Amino acid sequence: MRQEAFTSVLDELNGSSADIEASAVISTDGLMMASLLPVGLDEDRVGAMSAAMLSLGGRIAKELSRGDLEQVLVKGEAGYVLMTSAGQDAVLSVIAKPQARLGLILLDVKRAAEAIKNAL
Amino acid sequence: MDQCKLIFAGPVGVGKTTAVAALCHGRLLTTEEDASDVTRLHKDTTTVAFDYGVIDLDGGDRLHVYGLPGQKRFDFMWEILAKDSLGLILLLDNSRSSPCADLKFYVDAFRGFIEQTGLVVGVTRTDSHPLPVLDTYRASLAALGFKSCPVFEVDPRMRENVVMMVQALLYQLAPELAG
Repeated sequence: MRQEAFTSVLDELNGSSADIEASAVISTDGLMMASLLPVGLDEDRVGAMSAAMLSLGGRIAKELSRGDLEQVLVKGEAGYVLMTSAGQDAVLSVIAKPQARLGLILLDVKRAAEAIKNAL
Repeated sequence: MDQCKLIFAGPVGVGKTTAVAALCHGRLLTTEEDASDVTRLHKDTTTVAFDYGVIDLDGGDRLHVYGLPGQKRFDFMWEILAKDSLGLILLLDNSRSSPCADLKFYVDAFRGFIEQTGLVVGVTRTDSHPLPVLDTYRASLAALGFKSCPVFEVDPRMRENVVMMVQALLYQLAPELAG
């Protein structure tokens, strides 16, 4: 039931922009709750890495007086990874193309994270 | 050796975070999150990136200590944190179903690293679960090719127990430092 709700949020998110290549909802301890990932990506690893990054990001934000963590952005030559806090217990991870228009994606991701938080 | 680093590894719930906290007098950075997998049966939170603390050694050297996440899905963190470390302190939990299989799993996972550095094994919860005895672990270690690896019974809450393992590791790496 909950997983269906997550999957439909991810469906809508991936459909909102051609620049979004994949997305997933992950528990804060690194387990996949729902995902629309390309074949060849190891779900366990993506989940664990997202959780580790978000947890560290949260500690850095606190240490440097930036308040509760909202987001971690990773940019590589081949594109973006965006990890967004979705309530206390979940992380929304999004993989986007290098030429993606980040402003639009941030907006869509924010909306999706809110929807996931409400479905938890 | 003015700045050095060592790592604590072992299965979920064995007491890695507790050991690092005891060693560093509770002054540590943790990345604990609510557990949602089988870990939940034993405890509420689990380490997802690392625990970190630092202690000053006699002579002005600083020892940076990292506790690794236990679950296999975090093995990318094991690799990152093992880099440039002096050695590994492996904690094993006697209350788990097959701690000798845990020993083999972690020794195999870190084999390349500990062959270049050092290994010390600490066994926890021996008060409530006396078996296997330390000699069983020693035999397993010998079979895995680490015949001279020190093995201790430890309570990770007791700082002197944790210090003993650290000293054993440092001694193994540089016998002239002993004392």
